[in-house]
Amino acid sequence: MSAAELRVRGLGMQFEGLTALADVTMGIPAGEIHGLIGPNGAGKTTFFNCLTGFYRPTSGELWLASQRVDGLPTHVLAALGVSRTFQNIRLFANMTALENVLVGSHTHIRAGGREVLSVHRPSHRATIDRLISLGTAHRAAIQGLVELAGAVGRPPAVRNAEQEAVTSARRILAAVGLAGRENALARNLPYGDQRRLEVARALATRPGLLLLDEPTAGMNPQESAAMVGLIRRIRDEFETTIVLIEHQMRVVMGVCERITVLDYGRKIAEGTPAEVQRDTRVIEAYLGTRALRAGGHGTS
Amino acid sequence: MPSLAAARIRERMGAPIGKIPGVWRWPLFVGLSATIPFLLSDVWIQMLVFVGLFIVLGLGLNVVVGFAGLLDLGYVAFFAAGAYSLGIMSSPGSPFDLSMNFWLVLPLGVVIAALFGILLGLPVLPLRGDYLAIVTLGFGEIIRLFLVNREDVTAGSQGLSAIARPEIGGFEIESFTHWYYFVLAAAVVVGFVASRLRDSRIGRAWEAIREDEDVAAAMGVNTVKYKLMAFAIGAAIGGLGGVIYASFIGFISPAGFSLQVSIDVLAIVIIGGMGSTPGVILGALVLVGIPRILLFRETADFLSKLEWMREVLNGLIRGMDAFVPGSIGRLPPAGEWGAELADDTRFIIFGALLVIIMVVRPEGLMPSRRRQLEFAIEEPAALPATGAGG
Repeated sequence: MSAAELRVRGLGMQFEGLTALADVTMGIPAGEIHGLIGPNGAGKTTFFNCLTGFYRPTSGELWLASQRVDGLPTHVLAALGVSRTFQNIRLFANMTALENVLVGSHTHIRAGGREVLSVHRPSHRATIDRLISLGTAHRAAIQGLVELAGAVGRPPAVRNAEQEAVTSARRILAAVGLAGRENALARNLPYGDQRRLEVARALATRPGLLLLDEPTAGMNPQESAAMVGLIRRIRDEFETTIVLIEHQMRVVMGVCERITVLDYGRKIAEGTPAEVQRDTRVIEAYLGTRALRAGGHGTS
Repeated sequence: MPSLAAARIRERMGAPIGKIPGVWRWPLFVGLSATIPFLLSDVWIQMLVFVGLFIVLGLGLNVVVGFAGLLDLGYVAFFAAGAYSLGIMSSPGSPFDLSMNFWLVLPLGVVIAALFGILLGLPVLPLRGDYLAIVTLGFGEIIRLFLVNREDVTAGSQGLSAIARPEIGGFEIESFTHWYYFVLAAAVVVGFVASRLRDSRIGRAWEAIREDEDVAAAMGVNTVKYKLMAFAIGAAIGGLGGVIYASFIGFISPAGFSLQVSIDVLAIVIIGGMGSTPGVILGALVLVGIPRILLFRETADFLSKLEWMREVLNGLIRGMDAFVPGSIGRLPPAGEWGAELADDTRFIIFGALLVIIMVVRPEGLMPSRRRQLEFAIEEPAALPATGAGG
């Protein structure tokens, strides 16, 4: 899948009385590495959860390429090219590294018949209606039977598809620096490797939009630097738009082309790293107004 | 030269199972199983038919519990769906009196059970863990009560008799030996299907759901579809077991479809080692075989020869009485053990055995390769690239 443009219009997420996101609007052009920063509790991960269908946004619109995608189920979003990693690593701990990546390539492995994904439709509501309609259930049942027959009979087409998936999974593992660890259980990998395995698994879905939630959390400076190099390489080699949440400013400033700053669920700034660093509202959000005044006196 | 060949053969014979190449293990096992009726008497064969039946059921539940990680305590419902499909459609005593042929009902029973699986699956889709277990438990009870109360459909508690038997080209399956081969064939088919599914993208999707459902969805796995698939396939296999059971026994009534069946099958899966096919086989041998062996006359005769052991144990008890007077009674004479065994004692022996197994081998008797790794205390420094897949 080629890199996809993301447009967010007036996105809001309300939990009972708590507003986690309010009226967030932004556009990320295809192929950009975009940073998402903000103090703890600013709504960064909530934003990711909305993009991946973990939460259903309470207001606003999400557009991926030319398709409206808010409110779609998680697996459909994944099939449309949205993939992610997690702040607290969530690997399939008792599966091997290779198997983790193979789960990522799930939608690309042929399993007996052609997959019918009924979401490639311009109208958003119609898509959801179709998903729950009886017609779809009927088709899903037939598809399921075909898939079962394919798995049990294992015809050459299915076998080849599986073989190709394994080859490509090995390639992805090698690309993130995990060659040779294919058969290690995910939970037995060292921390840094687990982070990289999460990236590999996300890449296996062939994302047009890759969401990285604190990819360098808990890493030392050398490991962080390696991750920065990896992120750049991914964008170029795998042709994907990347949004990353990050706390380490060195990483954000080093790798992101543009940055969006969230505070209390609202967007307070957007621009190049240099612009954002100078933005008074950003300094205020991070360090408080006193610091801003003190800093202002110091420099001017 | 000949001595070398002989040495080689001896080496082969003496080789542990691990040395036999993966491809040959199952054909070898099935081949050896096929020779059993020539070696054992009918009581043993009858026992093994039950074991085989429970292997089929265990393999089915293993798909749901072992592969997809969905704890199902109402598995008996699908067993009953299969058995009653055959009962209602073939028994002359059924309220419908269709007297249908076994082979016609077999696929119908499997499909009906699969539909029941989906019927159970739909409402429990959002449930996880303990909640799922409770709802499935209730589902099993609903089916049992339905069997008891809807006499117009199921003939109620009086049951259905003279259920059809399979016939293969004019040859009727009737003796225990016939049934043994029939069940063996069914187990082989089910085992093959289950292992193919496990090694496909379906099996991987199930495993991912078991590990972390949300993340599986984020990777593009349609969790609704695959959970329903697991329930449907598990149920279909349960239904197959039910059809075979009803035909073998020839008579079914609601009493045979209690919660106990669900628990037995689940225990087979857990004791054997979740997700493991050899585990299910061994689990069924232990859980279904041992209680029946304890019932055999031979066993009672054998135990009655252990009079001296009773003396020793009674001596010990007498010693304990010195400290805590009258705390425990004496063991009865060994001659009465046979009768005792047929009663409650066998459940005590059996229960103790299960406790011991779970304490000594919490991962199950023959865990799947992955489970072995999971339970390994030491972290393997570097896993060697696995050569031939098992």
